[in-house]
Amino acid sequence: MPSHDRHALDPSILDEAADWLMRLSEGSVSDSERQEWEHWRNSSPTHRQAWARAELLLSKLQGLPPALAMPSLDRPSHPGRRAAMGKLAALLALAPLTWGSWKLNDWQQWTADYRAPVGERRDLTLTDGTHVTLNTDTAIDVYFDDRQRLLLLRRGEILVQTAADPSPVARPFLVQTNEGRMQALGTRFSVREETGHTRLAVLEGAVRIQVKGIGEQVVQAGQRSGFSALGFDAPTPVDKSVLAWTQGMLMADNMRLADFVNELSRYRSGVLRCDPAIANLRISGAFPVNDSRRTLNMLAQTYPINVSSRLGDYWVMLAPA
Amino acid sequence: MSDTGSAVNDCHLRTVADLYSGHHGWLYARLYRKLGNALDAADLAHDTFIRILASKVAVIEEPRAYLSCVAGGILVNWFQRKALERAYLQALASLPEPEVPSPERRLLVLEALHEIDAMLDTLPTHVKRAFLLSQINGLKYDDIATQLGVSLITVKRYMKQAFLHCLTLVD
Repeated sequence: MPSHDRHALDPSILDEAADWLMRLSEGSVSDSERQEWEHWRNSSPTHRQAWARAELLLSKLQGLPPALAMPSLDRPSHPGRRAAMGKLAALLALAPLTWGSWKLNDWQQWTADYRAPVGERRDLTLTDGTHVTLNTDTAIDVYFDDRQRLLLLRRGEILVQTAADPSPVARPFLVQTNEGRMQALGTRFSVREETGHTRLAVLEGAVRIQVKGIGEQVVQAGQRSGFSALGFDAPTPVDKSVLAWTQGMLMADNMRLADFVNELSRYRSGVLRCDPAIANLRISGAFPVNDSRRTLNMLAQTYPINVSSRLGDYWVMLAPA
Repeated sequence: MSDTGSAVNDCHLRTVADLYSGHHGWLYARLYRKLGNALDAADLAHDTFIRILASKVAVIEEPRAYLSCVAGGILVNWFQRKALERAYLQALASLPEPEVPSPERRLLVLEALHEIDAMLDTLPTHVKRAFLLSQINGLKYDDIATQLGVSLITVKRYMKQAFLHCLTLVD
């Protein structure tokens, strides 16, 4: 055998991935099976890699017009070349495989102190009486000591309602993201961590943002802002949609379909895509996030959108109707 | 290190240059006899040398045997591609007018089909058909079993076999 490529996947894991594809493709999957599959998929980086490959395969099969694809692919085969192709396929199988960068962040959610899985919301009260709501797919660590109350937002979105500190010496309440640190100045606010960017909306009081090497910005009640390692966004007024998630709703006001799809994707596991041809379609309305099937049906009834799914809703594609 | 690398590369380029000057005409003539079309023969001879250039081969003991082998592989792909294109054009021609995709989309679909075609080609006929009925036509396994005249268990085995095969090849 040639030297073992470090990117080559364990055949037994690929075999399991094929088994899952076969089971999920049948469409009718029970909740317990789905959980079993999610557990399998998240059980190691190699499993996730194997599933990334499964998704790549599905993306290639997706969206082909059956009237063209079926007669083209299912044509009678040319005799005599099967053996040659077999050799070729064997050679291809040995070729080194390249992988897209996969998210290191994935394991972090397991080490976080509190976590809300995809599609769920969690309410919790910290030891100082501060109330925190975690939106879908969110992970936080809480570090309280005698000098500070620090909440590390690793991923996702939170709503914080701070309480007066019961300790004799008032400790600052801080929320830290990859991009910077926010200090609550007696307040209610929400923070959302996105890759390379943090979004802040202040409902009551004020929040001071500090970004290392850049400086500070104070955001007052009724304002929203954002920041990255490069600097601050200009504050804009908060609108009512910003806290819709705490009611399990997604509010869209003239929102691009592509943005809507990205938002809805946060609340469901699996793949949700929209055809570039309808990416700029404008969507308005209030949609339930915990029932994405219903939301998609609502969309399909109101807009010229065709919803097609495979693998029992794991893979959903929005196309022009 | 880079000296060794460039020496190896020089050797490779010299080998390919010798191969080209000594045998390109022979390969072209052979392909022309086989295909009966000068343009296709020139294209395939060209593709053959491109593939050899990419291979970094440094020593070739039997130039014509080697050329035949590489060109043979390219020819297999070419025949397969042609067969796919023919079937595709027929399918296009039989579509009702409003369903015919735009020229740009037609080409994109063909490229996508070509990729899948190459992936599925070595699968046994029944396995391939079960896979296509499920993944392209969206049929349930039960219906596929009826259509192919096999048991449900067999359809599931076919599906798994096809998925595993594709997972190994997809990139």
